[in-house]
Amino acid sequence: MNEELFDEESFTSNKIDWNVWQKIFAFMKPLKKPILFGILSMSFLAITDVIYPYISKYAIDEIITPNLIAETSDLSKLPFFIGMYIFLALFQGILIYLFIRFAGKIQVELAYNIREKAFHHLQELPFSYYDRTRTGWIMARMTADSRNLSDILSWGLIDITWSVVLMVFLIIVMFLINPILALITMAVVPFMVLISIYFRKRILKAHRSIRKVNSKITGAFNEGLTGAITTKTLVLEDANFKDFDDLTSDMKVQSIRAALFHGLYFPSIIFLIAVGTSLIYYTGGNMVWDLTISVGTLYLFTHYVWAFFDPVNNIASIFARFQQAQASAERIVSLIETEPDIQDSPEVIQKYGTLFEYNQDNFEPLKGEVEFRNVSFKYQVGEQVLTNFSLKVKAGESIALVGRTGAGKTTIVNLICRFYQPTEGEILIDGVDYKERSMGWLHANLGYVLQSPHLFSGSVMENIRYGKLEATDDEVIAAAKAVEAHDFIMRFEKGYDTECGEGGSRLSVGQKQLVSFARAILADPKILVLDEATSSVDTETEQLIQTAINKLLKGRTSFIVAHRLSTIVHSNRILVLEDGEVIEEGTHSELIRAHKHYYQLYTNQYSEEMLELSKR
Amino acid sequence: MEKTITKEKPKHPMGRSLFLMFRWIGKQWPLLILAFGFLYAIQYLRTLVPLFGQHIIDAILKGDPSKLPPFLLNLVQGGTVKQSLLMAALMMVALEFIRSTAIIARRALSAIFAERIAYNLRNNLYRQLQNLDFGFHAHAETGDIIQRATTDIEAYRHFIGDQIIEVMRLIFLIGITIWQMSKLNTNLTLISLIIAPIIFTVAALYFGKIKKMFTVVEENEAKMTTHVQENVSGARVVKAFANEAYEVNKFKGLNRSFTDSDFLLTKKMAVFWSMTDMICFVQFCLTAVFGIIYTTDGTITLGIYTAFLAYSGNIIWPMRQLGRIIGDFSKATVSVGRLDDVLCKSDEYVQEKGILKPEITGSVRFDNVSFRFADSTYHQLEGISFAINKGETVAIIGKTGSGKSTLMNLLVRLLDYQEGTIYIDDYPITEIEKHYLRQNVGIILQEPFLFSKTVEENIGIADRNQRGGPRVQEVAKIARVHDDIVQFEKGYQTLVGERGVTLSGGQKQRVAIARMLLKPKPILIFDDSLSAVDTETDIQIREALKKEWKNSTVFIITHRITTAKEADRILVLDQGKIVETGRHQDLIKTKGLYRKIWDIQSKIDFQLEGGDDHE
Repeated sequence: MNEELFDEESFTSNKIDWNVWQKIFAFMKPLKKPILFGILSMSFLAITDVIYPYISKYAIDEIITPNLIAETSDLSKLPFFIGMYIFLALFQGILIYLFIRFAGKIQVELAYNIREKAFHHLQELPFSYYDRTRTGWIMARMTADSRNLSDILSWGLIDITWSVVLMVFLIIVMFLINPILALITMAVVPFMVLISIYFRKRILKAHRSIRKVNSKITGAFNEGLTGAITTKTLVLEDANFKDFDDLTSDMKVQSIRAALFHGLYFPSIIFLIAVGTSLIYYTGGNMVWDLTISVGTLYLFTHYVWAFFDPVNNIASIFARFQQAQASAERIVSLIETEPDIQDSPEVIQKYGTLFEYNQDNFEPLKGEVEFRNVSFKYQVGEQVLTNFSLKVKAGESIALVGRTGAGKTTIVNLICRFYQPTEGEILIDGVDYKERSMGWLHANLGYVLQSPHLFSGSVMENIRYGKLEATDDEVIAAAKAVEAHDFIMRFEKGYDTECGEGGSRLSVGQKQLVSFARAILADPKILVLDEATSSVDTETEQLIQTAINKLLKGRTSFIVAHRLSTIVHSNRILVLEDGEVIEEGTHSELIRAHKHYYQLYTNQYSEEMLELSKR
Repeated sequence: MEKTITKEKPKHPMGRSLFLMFRWIGKQWPLLILAFGFLYAIQYLRTLVPLFGQHIIDAILKGDPSKLPPFLLNLVQGGTVKQSLLMAALMMVALEFIRSTAIIARRALSAIFAERIAYNLRNNLYRQLQNLDFGFHAHAETGDIIQRATTDIEAYRHFIGDQIIEVMRLIFLIGITIWQMSKLNTNLTLISLIIAPIIFTVAALYFGKIKKMFTVVEENEAKMTTHVQENVSGARVVKAFANEAYEVNKFKGLNRSFTDSDFLLTKKMAVFWSMTDMICFVQFCLTAVFGIIYTTDGTITLGIYTAFLAYSGNIIWPMRQLGRIIGDFSKATVSVGRLDDVLCKSDEYVQEKGILKPEITGSVRFDNVSFRFADSTYHQLEGISFAINKGETVAIIGKTGSGKSTLMNLLVRLLDYQEGTIYIDDYPITEIEKHYLRQNVGIILQEPFLFSKTVEENIGIADRNQRGGPRVQEVAKIARVHDDIVQFEKGYQTLVGERGVTLSGGQKQRVAIARMLLKPKPILIFDDSLSAVDTETDIQIREALKKEWKNSTVFIITHRITTAKEADRILVLDQGKIVETGRHQDLIKTKGLYRKIWDIQSKIDFQLEGGDDHE
């Protein structure tokens, strides 16, 4: 995942691609109300921000100065001042509450919509997508990118509104009060803009490269931790530490450099504003002396020099982030626009329903005959795997697929599951091309047990029930009993309520296999696909698994990518594959007698003893 | 065995965390003090700015006394009003230039300070993790530790690099401002401070309280993320069981509860900011109203009034900020505690006494060795005695949990026995220097770890000088992985590990074997490390080894009887004891465990025979 991030971070395009943004903005359509109210409250807030120093001017010019000149102490206008003050304070308080609330609403709902759409689309994507896309890549879209986008779009929108309204209103007010002082104040702004854009862009860049080093450090920690025992056994402590020190030194140097650079930004603005303020004091002071302006006006303008900084800084920072966020936007759009290369035709959907809503009434009962008719297949990248492959399997037959890695076993299984579809030829189930039926129909009748079983976090009960969501507790327990899993489950303190942990991490390999068998038997599929595990478990667990497999296969059409001799022996037919072709076919004893490929394959795998025994 | 650290110390004593927060600063103290010095000067200069306004409004334009400090006042005297204004304006620019420069210097100092400490902390933590013993690593939750190494170090860096500095900055600013104000007018100063403590307290309490909500949001997000993660990695299962609709619904619920809790937090923040803003405005209003009254009755001048307006901004917003940071402080103490949990553990070298580096030829003797894990009540291994001559091949066989791996871990001192003695060439292994011992006793683990480097670098990892040399390919050939490697697109330059291509279990094991063979070792241990390799290759590797390493003593933990059969000696373990020992021919004749395992493993072949008869 880390490396993925490097690749992504190095992605920078300078042009704004409106095409992409339009698609992202589409997610904001349902949020019209909070957007409108957010913009409104932010505009009002900007106006009160401009007015606020004006009431101090009012106090100076309308209350204090007349009294000082007349040497009186007439406070009759004070209640109005207080009233205005309190009104503004309340108004501003409410506006602040509102804008945070609305911006927050936009942010969380936008993120929600993006994730929702992305996840929904992920379920529609065929297995091939998952085969070529790394989990980390998808995860980053669902977390960092959706967060990043919703953050910049919601708060960015609000901040820009505030900044623009404030500046426009400020300029109007200033020119209305005194055009000369207004011009002097404005003279500072272009420099402010230049400085802000310059720094904001570079600061962002520096942070990005720090993040890169940082994720390398995280990677090194991860590796140091997962490889700790290996490090000890190979006595690599010093070498590893040296590598690590290179990274942390780099981090240190880069961080300090970035901080120094960042440290220049604010002081240069302070200095710029000081120049502006002095100009105002000098020019304005002379004007007060000449009685062209009041002291209150002078006071007001010294405030307004500062007032430009926040909006300019905001806009510069949003602009920089917006450019960066485009990468996030592009990646999210690329995810939700990935066309599923396997999907049901409109006619099929019409009859059988979508992936999410089946029309189960129209499902024909599935008997379990499977036929490959002149099937050719090749993956998007890579060579032809199957050419003109034909195979007829009767309902209830169990087929063992054997052969070297890369011979095409997994491909055949993937085609049966319709994780992939034939590039040529067709696969018939009960005599009908399976493209004419829906994927839901096939999968509702299919059971699949993986080589390394995948469990979900949640209890053992929930994991078994995954095979048939509406199953009662009793049905789940019956399924567990059927595959010999009940005993070990009951040995857990919490029995069926035992948490499996993420990915089933709290169960042993053998236990996970038994749970996944229970899940498959609960689904009661007509066609079963079993990718047997090669991992070594102790001899007793091995026997349990063997018994369970035998029960699982009973009465179903099954395809087994087989590694266990006994499973193979029990199957009705063995297909020996090489380079996508069946080079030998028959029962175990037939093939042994034939003394050809199968014989060789398995004498190698199953040691000399077996050889001696089978010769007898 | 040691429990996982999360459970071990749920709460870290607050006092220790605070102590550590400052102790970890170590030798970097002078930088911090210097940064504080700069901070003080910067804040002092900042409080001079409003006095320029007072000087211009009162002294230049009205002829009232200036409140600028004398040293400045002397520098801004001018003959005419115009000249005086120019002098004041120039002086202000000059002072602000000095302040800007000081800010730059201060930022540099605190950055160097914080980054040096973070650097040391990262390195210490990494070294500590490498040196912690086997027990720790066997049970460590990677995700949790990584979080400590990243989030918690960052939280501490944020504390020393930003928060401490910010707190000091605010304290200096508030303090100097109050001092400057009090020189102008005592009563108005007091009025300007009435609500300030309330603002501080409200902010501190609010942020102290709201922390729990952050945790809830984080937890909800984690649940949602986990669901996506499992859905994606289990895509086959989801599709094969046609559970797409179920997955979408489940995700909707999790997505919704995360979104809602996040929004709830935002609403709380909205309340905080608007409420405190209003309180702040009450304070501003008080200062302004009393300022107006005092100005009109002549107690203070107009210039002083404007200075007070500026000064109250220097107090009120910083008060809220200060409260917010202090309310947030405990985050850093929690992080420090979590880091200390790892750092304070004693590593495996703490009580190490072994210093000998004798020449090792390879004879091994266990003399009545017993071992039990720290938190266990029974012995994992008990009364183990056997002697192996140099150059022998020993097979160790037994059920899962019988103590086979533990036995071998004792030999490389990943674990230390409590009773008895293990001798290598008549030296008790505890007297041999640990690194030296491991350099001479090679162990290949069942699930070996490959580093995120190229295949070549991985094989050559034990000796960087060998990289690119012929030796790497030689050992890859012995381990029967060379043919696999050259078939990769990039051959030996293929990147493996977490970020590279995924090797099969068998390929990983063979790379691990090759890596161990790089340097000759008198003793070599295979901890079930041929389990994912097919029998044929297994035999080839062992034959190649016999040729090349005929003088080495080899231990092989295995499930395969075929492997055990060829050993010079077989040790059969059951429940932590050696129940049988001898050669295959001898053991097969007994009615013991070995015979039983042999029966089970060859049963499949009897079945096969039966099947033949049947047809």
